[in-house]
Amino acid sequence: MADTDSAETGTETESARNTSPQNGESGAAEAATEASETASTPANAADERIAFRGVFARMLVRPEIGAAIAATAVWIFFWSVSGVFGLAGGTASVLDVASTLGIMAVAVAMLMIGGEFDLSAGAATGALGIVTLMFVRDITGEMGGAGLSLWIALPLSLAVALGLGWFNGTMVNRSGLPSFIVTLASFFILKGAKLGFAKLIVDQIQVGKMDDLEIFAADRGGDKGYGFFQPIFAAEWDRTDHVWESRDFLYTVACLVGLTLLVLALYEMRFARKDKMNPAGLAVTLAGIAAGIGGVLYLHGTDGTSANAIGAAIIGAGMLIGFFGLAMWRYQPLSDKGSFSVSPGWLAPFGAGLGALALAVLAARSLDAQNSENVTFLVTEQGLRAILFVGLAGAGAVLLLMASHRAGIGSQLTRSIVLLCTAGLVVAIAFFIRSESASPKFRTEVFSIMLAIAALMAVWAIVTLFFAERRYPDAPADRLGRLLIAGGTLMFIIGVGTRLLYTVPAEIEAGISPAKFSVRTLWFLLFAGVCTWVLGRSKFGSWVFAVGGNKEASRQIGVPAARTKVQLFMLVSFAAWLVGTLLAFRLNTIQASTGDGEEFEYIIAAVVGGTALTGGYGSTLGAAIGAIIMAMAAQGIPSARWNSDWRFVFLGGILLLAVIANNFIRSRAEATR
Amino acid sequence: MKKLLSLLALLLAFTLAAAACGGSDDDTAADDAAEDTSEEAAEAEEEEAMEEEAEEAMEEEGDEEVALETQGGDLTFHMITHSDDGPFWSVVKNGFDAACAAHGVNCVWMPGNNDPGQMVTDIETAIGEGSAGIAASLPSPDQLIGPLQDAVGAGIPVYTLNSGLNDYQTIGATTHIGQSEDVAGQGAGNRFNDLGATKVLCGRQEQSNVGLEERCGGLAETFGGEVVDEFVGLDADQTEQINGIKAILEADPDIDAFLGVGPVIAMSGLQAAQDLGRDLTIGGFDMTPELLDAIEAGDIAFTVDQQQYLQGYLPVVLMFLEATNANQAGGGQPVLTGPGFVTPDNAAAVKALSAAGTR
Repeated sequence: MADTDSAETGTETESARNTSPQNGESGAAEAATEASETASTPANAADERIAFRGVFARMLVRPEIGAAIAATAVWIFFWSVSGVFGLAGGTASVLDVASTLGIMAVAVAMLMIGGEFDLSAGAATGALGIVTLMFVRDITGEMGGAGLSLWIALPLSLAVALGLGWFNGTMVNRSGLPSFIVTLASFFILKGAKLGFAKLIVDQIQVGKMDDLEIFAADRGGDKGYGFFQPIFAAEWDRTDHVWESRDFLYTVACLVGLTLLVLALYEMRFARKDKMNPAGLAVTLAGIAAGIGGVLYLHGTDGTSANAIGAAIIGAGMLIGFFGLAMWRYQPLSDKGSFSVSPGWLAPFGAGLGALALAVLAARSLDAQNSENVTFLVTEQGLRAILFVGLAGAGAVLLLMASHRAGIGSQLTRSIVLLCTAGLVVAIAFFIRSESASPKFRTEVFSIMLAIAALMAVWAIVTLFFAERRYPDAPADRLGRLLIAGGTLMFIIGVGTRLLYTVPAEIEAGISPAKFSVRTLWFLLFAGVCTWVLGRSKFGSWVFAVGGNKEASRQIGVPAARTKVQLFMLVSFAAWLVGTLLAFRLNTIQASTGDGEEFEYIIAAVVGGTALTGGYGSTLGAAIGAIIMAMAAQGIPSARWNSDWRFVFLGGILLLAVIANNFIRSRAEATR
Repeated sequence: MKKLLSLLALLLAFTLAAAACGGSDDDTAADDAAEDTSEEAAEAEEEEAMEEEAEEAMEEEGDEEVALETQGGDLTFHMITHSDDGPFWSVVKNGFDAACAAHGVNCVWMPGNNDPGQMVTDIETAIGEGSAGIAASLPSPDQLIGPLQDAVGAGIPVYTLNSGLNDYQTIGATTHIGQSEDVAGQGAGNRFNDLGATKVLCGRQEQSNVGLEERCGGLAETFGGEVVDEFVGLDADQTEQINGIKAILEADPDIDAFLGVGPVIAMSGLQAAQDLGRDLTIGGFDMTPELLDAIEAGDIAFTVDQQQYLQGYLPVVLMFLEATNANQAGGGQPVLTGPGFVTPDNAAAVKALSAAGTR
């Protein structure tokens, strides 16, 4: 999506850049009177299709970004209210639940983009696992089973799976009935057939056992491929086996570099580039970086509280000098800063934000952090305190940012002042958390992250006051920005991944329970990656969007609509086969009820991830993130020890909020297109 | 928008349908009772008609003299249950057949397949055939109490089995032969006391299933330590179930024992404990081959067995003695067939018996 944008705007770049010198003045003058986000340069004002979009709108353009932000919010929420949620063990559990759910959600999302549903997808996972097990079982002491080698059984059950998908797709095409009703029939048939055949052949309501292949290998002349396939489908990786002392160093560096790259992307996409760079700025930047590094070293060398404050101040000053120098080097100065003005437009959210923060502090002060008794029928006092504080403080921060955005509509000076106030409040809350909280998670980690965020906000407030916003398309700058975003995200993934996959001796001594990562997660990532590539880059992917948008129209322009739909159904049943196989190797035994009713979880995950119920719109990456959100909710609720009777109330609430957030962010991002 | 709305309406309709028929394959009485209540409404009308018929039939026959029999050969006993041909009920049937053969009586096995209407018809048939004793399960008491009272009124000794603990006295049945979920949970609590556990997580695989809640409730009554009672995820998504248990275990390091109130969830508890490297004392309910293997290997400490063979066998013995010797067992109290326990000591023996179809 993003790439087609840049292709479109690319041709306009040159003319836009030619007009940029005068834009500096006229644009700023205009900004005083109208909304800055939609202001356009004289060059392209005539064509609203390439109307200029604000920097955040450009950064948030992909359909899955809303899901990603919602996922982050859910993660932060559970991380703050639960002791074990963010640890490696908790993360392994979340990924474990997300893997099987996510593989199906990605396939179902593709089918939904293609305009169809498959209600038999859930029951099919269990059914195909049972089919595989029936093929490999033999008659040693028990009834039933074909006794085939896995080398034959797996392709055979895959053929059954593809046949099932072909059947669903063909029935939908031929009958012209909604796929909802056709696959509902398939669902009931599969549900009944699982139980019926399990009882008929095995005389049980479950079919086992996969690891019999290994246990009875000697009697049966070899393990029939079990030794080969077991690691492929069920390998597990124990984190405690991998100790790396300097893990946290890499983690910190990767996260810092990632954050820096993201901030650089923000700068590059926001400010107007100079025609001629100013080398003096580069020198200032280097000085700032040096100061920052000096501050870090100083902080590491000392222990005292006052020395900590000095170190933090040096780092903050280094950041300011560094980013200011960078802007001096690359970007045009802002001539008209506007004058400070008070308007109800920003005062209202500002006041509301202050109120929310005050309530958060009040809640934290008045409730007992040590009390794990149930205060209400829902949660413990401890839990209530955490939920209230996190919720209110989060809402306060959002309101304050909204206030600074609105203030900036009138003048840059007002925006910067409001933003500086917000940064100050963030610092105050950070110190409050440090003084109130008992756990090191809040006293050090949350505290330093909040200080860093406040520093970035303050620097942003100052730099935006002195340098001009770009109000015209600049494809090379946007491309560089996107590259930096990709790089920054990659660094975060490396940092977090390292921290999850490796352990340090101190953690083992502390008796933190071991985390087991499974090969299922890799299957999930692989499947999501391949589907995302197919959907975004291949002809088949374009066909999927086309048939989902309008089947008749797509057929008339030469898309093989019927075939595409059948292939999508076959993709879903392939995914069900994969999940069934993963479950068979993991659990060794499959219950007849396995997967029944799960099809709604797949659809929900796809919708949470931004896929439309009506077809023609959506994202496989979003569906994968949606699956992770659902897994986080499913794991976070017991982790936080909330009353399980109310589990589905919480789950529903979290999903509703996630979908609303996703939808809001996406519509904001697309409003200016 | 219209398309979207209609899709949503369909989604809703389907969810309701799925919820209505989302039965379990668990073979406990309470499960079946819960399951069948949803069918009650649909069956109610049919039932009324049938009850009327039954009453008419009763009037025609009138009271029948019951003479003591001294020889079994003339006796015919009926066992009318909601049996569904599953592994659970096949064991009950084996017990029933064995007892009939041992006493040399005629026996009629009438499986209702979870259809109360069928059971009502069967009860009427049994009354019509001049049964010497009726043993019935009561998955949906409201519909079955009437016909069984008619049987009592006709002078036929009635026994309830498996489910019906709360209603056998209303019917006027001699006694109830089965397991009380409460008592089963209490038995599990005593087991955990003996095994030295201090804090037990009682994991449920369903929400709002009375039988499962009673199991956890019974555990809390007798267990000396603390009980954490939680729903941890459905059997249909065992991955989520395992990880749900893990989340609670990690959040509460004091938990040193786990009771899964079904055979699948007990195995999930074992998997969770192994993943976390925690040494838990694990107990389960009912039996599957995997669970018996795990008990034999010593990974799981015990499973609660309601010994359903007795529920097939004992009614025949009691009905025989009532018919031939005018004995009335139970003294107004139910005869409990459980909880029996399968532990590493007897797992191998139980496995062999299970393969033979008697456990």
